[in-house]
Amino acid sequence: MAAEGRGRRQSPVLRIRSELPMRWRAGLAVGGLAFVFLLWVWESSRSSGAVIVPSPADTWKAVTAAWSSGQLGKDFGASMGRIGLGYTISMAIGLVVGLLMGSFTSIESAVEAPVAFLRYIPATALTPLLLLWLGIGESPKVTLIVLGTVFFNTLMVADVVRAVPQELIKVSYTLGAGRLAVLRKVILPHSLPGVIDVARINLAAGWLMLVVAELLAAQSGLAYRIVQAQRFHQVDIMFAMLIVFGVIGVASDLVLRWLRNAAAPWARP
Amino acid sequence: MTLSPPESPPELAEPITPEPPATPAGTRKLDMVRVIKTFPARRKAKPVVAVGPVDIHVDQGELVCIVGTSGCGKSTLLNIAGGLETATMGDVSVDGEPVIGPGPDRGMVFQGYSLYPWKTVAENISFGLECQGVDRARRAERVKELLAIMDLVAFADRLPKELSGGMRQRVAIARALAPEPDILLLDEPFGSLDAQTKLAMQEFLLLVWQRTGATILMVTHDVEEALFLSQRVYVMHGRPGRVVEVVDVPFGRSRSTQVKRSPKFLDLRDEIQELFRQPLD
Ligand SMILES: Nc1ncnc2c1ncn2[C@@H]1O[C@H](COP(=O)(O)OP(=O)(O)OP(=O)(O)O)[C@@H](O)[C@H]1O
Ligand SMILES: [Mg+2]
Repeated sequence: MAAEGRGRRQSPVLRIRSELPMRWRAGLAVGGLAFVFLLWVWESSRSSGAVIVPSPADTWKAVTAAWSSGQLGKDFGASMGRIGLGYTISMAIGLVVGLLMGSFTSIESAVEAPVAFLRYIPATALTPLLLLWLGIGESPKVTLIVLGTVFFNTLMVADVVRAVPQELIKVSYTLGAGRLAVLRKVILPHSLPGVIDVARINLAAGWLMLVVAELLAAQSGLAYRIVQAQRFHQVDIMFAMLIVFGVIGVASDLVLRWLRNAAAPWARP
Repeated sequence: MTLSPPESPPELAEPITPEPPATPAGTRKLDMVRVIKTFPARRKAKPVVAVGPVDIHVDQGELVCIVGTSGCGKSTLLNIAGGLETATMGDVSVDGEPVIGPGPDRGMVFQGYSLYPWKTVAENISFGLECQGVDRARRAERVKELLAIMDLVAFADRLPKELSGGMRQRVAIARALAPEPDILLLDEPFGSLDAQTKLAMQEFLLLVWQRTGATILMVTHDVEEALFLSQRVYVMHGRPGRVVEVVDVPFGRSRSTQVKRSPKFLDLRDEIQELFRQPLD
């Protein structure tokens, strides 16, 4: 009998939900990034004909050139302005309506059906209509960002609010809190980290709407620059803008994660 | 079967510490008369009669328990007393005034998950006072007092997630006591605690009750807990739940865990448990 012992030995690395040391995790993350980077280098080295993939070095040159010429700053400012305004409006509406929906069954009943219907209309399909109605200024772009995210934000905030334990609300009433106090002092603070998470998750949809708006009708912006670059076959600029998009996305994700933990240390896992 | 009142004082019912003077007792605090609760029909199901008719009362300074099997409507009754649910029929009053909704005069404690997780222990305790617009200095004073009573002084600035289960329930009790309620309503407050912690909390509750002179109505499914803590036990059973027996507990206001080994205690326990073996309806 060569039995080593009872049970099946578990792999320290490949076990499901294994607790890897931080250094291992960091190492694997660097490895993953390096893999993507090498793939890029390899593709660019063998690119030819119509499929031109600029090298990382060329892309970096395009980024720095766009930056020093002031073009990148201007495009970045234009895009950030649109998404900043549109997404702020969307979150504000989502927060108020979601809070009411999650708290009052009456409002939920009235709002849920229309929101559920509107949510399934792809907001991008509204672009021609918005251009027709609102012209080609800033308002159709901001409106598209709002329309493309507000329903998701509303429904997800409502879910977060519904997750406030019933006992917490009941106990608040027995402590003398009125409805307004329960909303302000119990439901809102309990929902805060969840709401920030909703903002973080749906921000990606906000970027998507921004890009669609800028591709179709704009005179500035990061996505507009990509369309422009296409005209002159400036693949390096296209890549530069894509990289900028990625960096902004990662940065906003990190900022919102940090904000969540700073605003609600009690909810930290 | 007659469980109450006992003819002769039981042998081991000697109080361990001298009996404190009786509270200005006798005045009725909570009075629930012929209370019935029916939950409305859902889908094709008929309306559910959850409880009743039930008569329950708690006098000034009493500690009374409702004990019963799961689903017999204990929580429903307590919620009605707290004003969180309305009785379908019957009268519910506190100090002679009808209960029409929840209020800080009836503090409630639930089984768990009811502390504000973003507030520190002190802030949790302070919440009720804040809602009533008590000024900051007076609030701090009251919180300090309760932290001392609840043996939580060292944990004033901790968050609930940093506390043990027993401590959390102590905070919940302190928070309910802060606005000086007329009556404290406890719904299985020790139900999720381990056996040792539970025992310690029971002794602790007795101590708090003696020190503060609070009037307490507590729901539990633990017969021993009910007998150990209370002066009167309402035994509920059946569907819809009814009070099948009222037990006057003959052990005095202050008791030690030794009471749990006395023959009288064991007899009462067995008799109540026998009641639960009766078929429902
Ligand atoms: N909102 C509701 N709608 C319909 N039926 C309900 C509702 N709340 C409670 N009930 C029913 O009423 C009865 C009593 O419920 P209750 O929660 O008061 O029992 P309980 O004695 O506290 O039980 P447990 O010991 O499990 O906490 C149960 O049969 C339950 O199914
Ligand atoms: Mg219950």
